[in-house]
Amino acid sequence: MSDDLPDQFDLVVIGTGFIESCIAAAASRVGKSVLHLDHNEYYGDVWGSFTIDGLCDRLNKETGAHSTLRNCSYTWHSSEKEPEPEAMEVQGEQKWNRETMLAKSRRFSLDLCPRILYSSGELVQLLIKSNICRYAEFRAVDHVCMRHNGEIVSVPCSRSDVFNTKTLTIVEKRLLMKFLTACNDYGEDKCNEDSLAFRGRTFLEYLQAQRVTEKISSCVMQAIAMCGPNTSFEEGMQSTQRFLGSLGRYGNTPFLFPMYGCGELPQCFCRLCAVYGGIYCLKRTVDDIGLDENTKEFVLSSAGKTVRAKNVVSAPGYPPVSRDIEMKPHISRGLFVSASPLGNEELNKGGGGVNLLRLLDAESGREAILIQLSHYTGACPEGLYIFHLTTPAVSEDPASDLVAFTSQLFDPTGAEIIFSSYFTIATQSSRSTAGEHIYYTDAPTYELDYDAAIANARCIFGKLFADAEFLPRAPDPEEIVVDGEDPSALNEHSLPEDLRAQLKDMQQATQEMDIQD
Amino acid sequence: MAKTYDYLFKLLLIGDSGVGKTCILFRFSEDAFNTTFISTIGIDFKIRTIELDNKKIKLQIWDTAGQERFRTITTAYYRGAMGIMLVYDITQEKSFENIKNWIRNIEENASADVEKMLLGNKCELHDKRQVSKERGEQLAIEYGIKFMETSAKASINVEEAFLTLASDIKAKTEKRMEANNPPKGGHQLKPMDSRTKDSWLSRCSML
Repeated sequence: MSDDLPDQFDLVVIGTGFIESCIAAAASRVGKSVLHLDHNEYYGDVWGSFTIDGLCDRLNKETGAHSTLRNCSYTWHSSEKEPEPEAMEVQGEQKWNRETMLAKSRRFSLDLCPRILYSSGELVQLLIKSNICRYAEFRAVDHVCMRHNGEIVSVPCSRSDVFNTKTLTIVEKRLLMKFLTACNDYGEDKCNEDSLAFRGRTFLEYLQAQRVTEKISSCVMQAIAMCGPNTSFEEGMQSTQRFLGSLGRYGNTPFLFPMYGCGELPQCFCRLCAVYGGIYCLKRTVDDIGLDENTKEFVLSSAGKTVRAKNVVSAPGYPPVSRDIEMKPHISRGLFVSASPLGNEELNKGGGGVNLLRLLDAESGREAILIQLSHYTGACPEGLYIFHLTTPAVSEDPASDLVAFTSQLFDPTGAEIIFSSYFTIATQSSRSTAGEHIYYTDAPTYELDYDAAIANARCIFGKLFADAEFLPRAPDPEEIVVDGEDPSALNEHSLPEDLRAQLKDMQQATQEMDIQD
Repeated sequence: MAKTYDYLFKLLLIGDSGVGKTCILFRFSEDAFNTTFISTIGIDFKIRTIELDNKKIKLQIWDTAGQERFRTITTAYYRGAMGIMLVYDITQEKSFENIKNWIRNIEENASADVEKMLLGNKCELHDKRQVSKERGEQLAIEYGIKFMETSAKASINVEEAFLTLASDIKAKTEKRMEANNPPKGGHQLKPMDSRTKDSWLSRCSML
């Protein structure tokens, strides 16, 4: 299998998570030779999506102190009596239980680290800029929700939402519009009254000064600005603007979810890396890494094969590279599958059911993000709903970290939940980038979108290849002229370095021929 | 921009390394044959628009980008594919035996109703043949799919193969549309409109 693998690379990347894939794609794109390895037989590691079989297998796996995934458990909640097969037929509606779900295991794309994308956010911009967007499709989130008086209600996002909502009174509508308009205009004039008056104060104080009602305050704090009582005025303004700036692009809310789960995203970057010549080996463990003192190259041995690399990037939790990295709990996750959605019919009607809800625990001041997915995201069969619950970890027990939030939503052992699972995503206790000049990527951090992940990838890429552009636009296939009759037809700026050089040589050769003529 | 086609079909090429997938792609899309393709140029699919029964059909044909080499094709590659060309090399027994593995891979990752077709490529190399035409036919019958022997180099049957696959997908699509069950889709990302910041407020005021 390794017979025709080259033995010299500019970069070896270990792990196919989001950040590693991003770096691999960026390096390959600018003409570096890349070998991308993963000891798993699938892409994405903790950034990947799993079938329900695959998820259970992964959660069953032994996890150590250096592993990114730990404290795993899952439970099937089945009613005592299994319905007769004939009874299922008669009802004409699928009955969901362990057996029927496992039979459709491949229809599930269950994320360990689900995210929601801002429609004009960092990742969306990067995907468009680099043309990687052609490898993926997205589903607009149907509703951004909040909990109000014990009920889940939709937060109006667009103008027509504000107009049509029954959640708010006419006066409240006017106040909300006025407030959001002010936020939208803020920043063009940094010296306006508000910014001077509220500098150094909290966003909540600003909100209260606008004499909004309690309900509007909840809308803004919980769902739009997504901030807490201590968030500064500037920060709150920024996140409100981020929300407003992503409106009106796709669908009704400012958010997108990748079709078939977030695990598609690392794969899209891997595809670009491969298109530019990057080599992929899954199910491949690196047994040892050493440094050749003479050439300053890394020497990696894997499955009896030795490979030399100028640079190595590794995900945390990948032996032998990160043997010495301490990992501590960072994110507590709950993943539930149910046959009934959360909230009322209004939130889940028609093609809906893809909803975002930010939950707060008043007592501890902690927060959690709930993402509800329906079959419209391609992440589960029709008739089922996935609830992804994510909160910053405070202990090694994800279930107890999440109980303050699950209790607001559903009974996690109740009849409507068919499958429940808990796990912890761990991260490096201290960021070490020095280890023999191997660059370690960050484990997934607690964030809604991918901003921190992209920043991490960009930062490592910058250290590796200081002068190279990070993911310049890949030309569309139509733009590439292959028969070479007219090399100038190629957009030379869209080509990687080495091809640009080739192109120059060709042009020079042509000129020389002209002279001879 | 007005749509210049009636249908858009996403097709994939699958098979072992070196069976000539990329050559088939270029024979069909550019009517060219060149064995010195450089992978670094970044080709991941080619487009050709054909006409069938007065319908313009845009075929978007995706190459594996070398990810077949160590069986590391991304699951994302299969998303939304409507047709798959399974390619083996008639001079390489192994590539023919591996078709079974590729079919298993397709069953695991592609949608259940994807249209498949089997191609035995390099049929101009009579002297080096290891897989008889009959065995190819037999395997295709086993899986209930169509079969052709092709040569990207000598330009044999490449055009015919794609037209056959496209016409089968078209028939299936039209049947599904008659049943009033159009496939649902997500959003494809588009470049930003520079005026996005205003869009929320630019509409006429109603309050």
